[in-house]
Amino acid sequence: MIEVKNITKSYDKTQAVRGISFSIKDGECYGLLGPNGAGKSTTINMLSMLFPPDSGQITIGGLDVNKGNTKVKSMLGIVPQEIALYEKFTAWENILFWGSVYGVKGKALTDKAEELLKWVGLYDRRKDNVEDYSGGMKRRINIACALLHSPKVLLLDEPTVGVDPQSRNLIFELIQQLNKEGMTIIYTTHYMEEAEKLCDRIGIIDKGLIIAQGTLDELKSQSQVNDMILVDCDRAPDEKMLSDKLKTTVAVSDKRISILSEDSKKDLTRIVTTCNDAGYEINRIDIQKGNLEGVFLKMTGKQLRD
Amino acid sequence: MGMFIILKKELQAFFKDKRALMLGILMPIILITVFSLAFGGLGGKGKDHKIQLLVCDEDKTDLSKEMIGGLDSIESLAIFTTTTDSALNLVKRGRYSAALIFHKGFTDSVKAVKHLPWELKYDATRSIEMGMVQQSLLQNLYGKISKMMNEKLIIQMKNFESNSKEINKLMQLKNSPLQKVPDNQGVVQALAGTAVMMLLFSLTAMGARLIEEKENGTLKRLLSSPLKTTDILAGKMLSSMIFAICQLFIMMIFSSLAFGLVLLPNLVPATILIIATAFACASFGMFIASIIKTREQAQGVSTLATLIMSAIGGSMVPSFLMPQWMQNVGHASINYWAIQGFFDIFIRQLQITDFVFLGRVAVLIGIGATLSFFSLILFRNNATSMA
Repeated sequence: MIEVKNITKSYDKTQAVRGISFSIKDGECYGLLGPNGAGKSTTINMLSMLFPPDSGQITIGGLDVNKGNTKVKSMLGIVPQEIALYEKFTAWENILFWGSVYGVKGKALTDKAEELLKWVGLYDRRKDNVEDYSGGMKRRINIACALLHSPKVLLLDEPTVGVDPQSRNLIFELIQQLNKEGMTIIYTTHYMEEAEKLCDRIGIIDKGLIIAQGTLDELKSQSQVNDMILVDCDRAPDEKMLSDKLKTTVAVSDKRISILSEDSKKDLTRIVTTCNDAGYEINRIDIQKGNLEGVFLKMTGKQLRD
Repeated sequence: MGMFIILKKELQAFFKDKRALMLGILMPIILITVFSLAFGGLGGKGKDHKIQLLVCDEDKTDLSKEMIGGLDSIESLAIFTTTTDSALNLVKRGRYSAALIFHKGFTDSVKAVKHLPWELKYDATRSIEMGMVQQSLLQNLYGKISKMMNEKLIIQMKNFESNSKEINKLMQLKNSPLQKVPDNQGVVQALAGTAVMMLLFSLTAMGARLIEEKENGTLKRLLSSPLKTTDILAGKMLSSMIFAICQLFIMMIFSSLAFGLVLLPNLVPATILIIATAFACASFGMFIASIIKTREQAQGVSTLATLIMSAIGGSMVPSFLMPQWMQNVGHASINYWAIQGFFDIFIRQLQITDFVFLGRVAVLIGIGATLSFFSLILFRNNATSMA
């Protein structure tokens, strides 16, 4: 369904995307996972035809995106990172407007609008101005506005930023349902758990490059990650000192140390001793079995939220 | 101390937007310069401010030719000679301020010490200027004519004091506007000047809503949709135009109800002019919107552009009071053409088919089309970076 071949994009002197390639099958949910500034939104913007890549090629449904084909635009549903709604309009007015932008008219539009508002659980609040909604409600309307024309591909650019856990779970359910119904989805996030939960395949993106991609299991085996030990200290630890002493990949973010371990039971004592010797008081220790966070740490040497 | 933290942040934010900063510094300088130049003619010295006077010599005698030659030396007047028909036509259409006509028998009347057959016909929209014209004419021509008349009168009446009064009476220059001056001429001037200026302010503000769309992400969403950039810009411009048309009609209806503006008989030409003005103003708003990138820039550029156009175009002070070169510059403003169009309809009472009126409408449409064209190109090029 989607073929991305070696695309690049620069802004002034900054190269935001440095040669990304991936392909997505029909009905697949593909996650682009990376920290802020990794190039996720730039990639999504190129896919959504906001601007063309400097080089490389994107095809969606066999059509070349670079040629500015409006047929491609009609195939896409776009959920931008921003809550791209008219706050002074009601949910109903917003949804009708965005539907008409995509050429949906008359009864088909009102029927679909009703269906979507019910689906996102906001039909009863449809006459309220969007400015009166909570962050989570706005996010749900933001998604609904992208679906009025029943797109084949849905591009979601960090659709859960700033929402409470309950709304986030609701949004997950909506996306999973869409995917089950056969919609192809590209989902960008910097939350590991979102990528793990939603995506069939994941591309790990950092500094404008996809450094690894595959299913979660494939990524784990590619990076040979076993466990990750998370240690919360009373103050920010010295990353280099810990890395030298523990002789493994260590990343420090604020007061948290993330340590990759092949055998957590064996390494735990050594880690506690090292921290105590360095004078750090340990507040909490978590051991996580091979997950994306460990994969990311192993591949980039840093935590995803760095 | 907290105050200084906020102060530092505010200054930092202000200095970050270089274009807005430049505008902040340059705006007062530019405005002072433009207003000083525009109002330069008011001081009285303004050498550049010459009233354009047409002179028609129906008498065609040595004396009438001598009189006309003498007019050339008057600094405040720019003299052009032509036939009476042509002069009246040009004044009626607002091309020239006034026509001074030396009727047949002028020299004979001087010689016979009779009432002089000369008259000043002027454009009703420029009545303020006529006092200055008459003063200049009498100052320069009185001496010569009165001398000639006085010699005759001395022979006839031998009475010096009564001669002077009699000569003044005989030399009286008949002056009248070419159009019937409506009682509410002031309303027309206020309406025309204010309406266009206010329209420019509100439309540049509407144009700046693109910035709002950029900030809340809806512009990005629109640009990613199947809509073309031309659709987006044209839709926005059309809404601005509808708003402008409504605003102008409301102002006219109010002026009609409250101040007796004669609207109904002039409804058709007024509608045509309103549509053309709205198009030009809406395009101007879109043009501003397509060159700005931040709210601060929007505020600065729109205020600056609107005030300058209003100053040079005659919204703040009648154009004819400005230096000639400034009047010429004023032709580049929407205000000038719209105001003159309103004068054509409500004061000069030109027919809807009159080429002068249609010409002004065409210029407004031309300005609108040019600005729309450049807005579209700029918007196309900048839209992505804007989003």
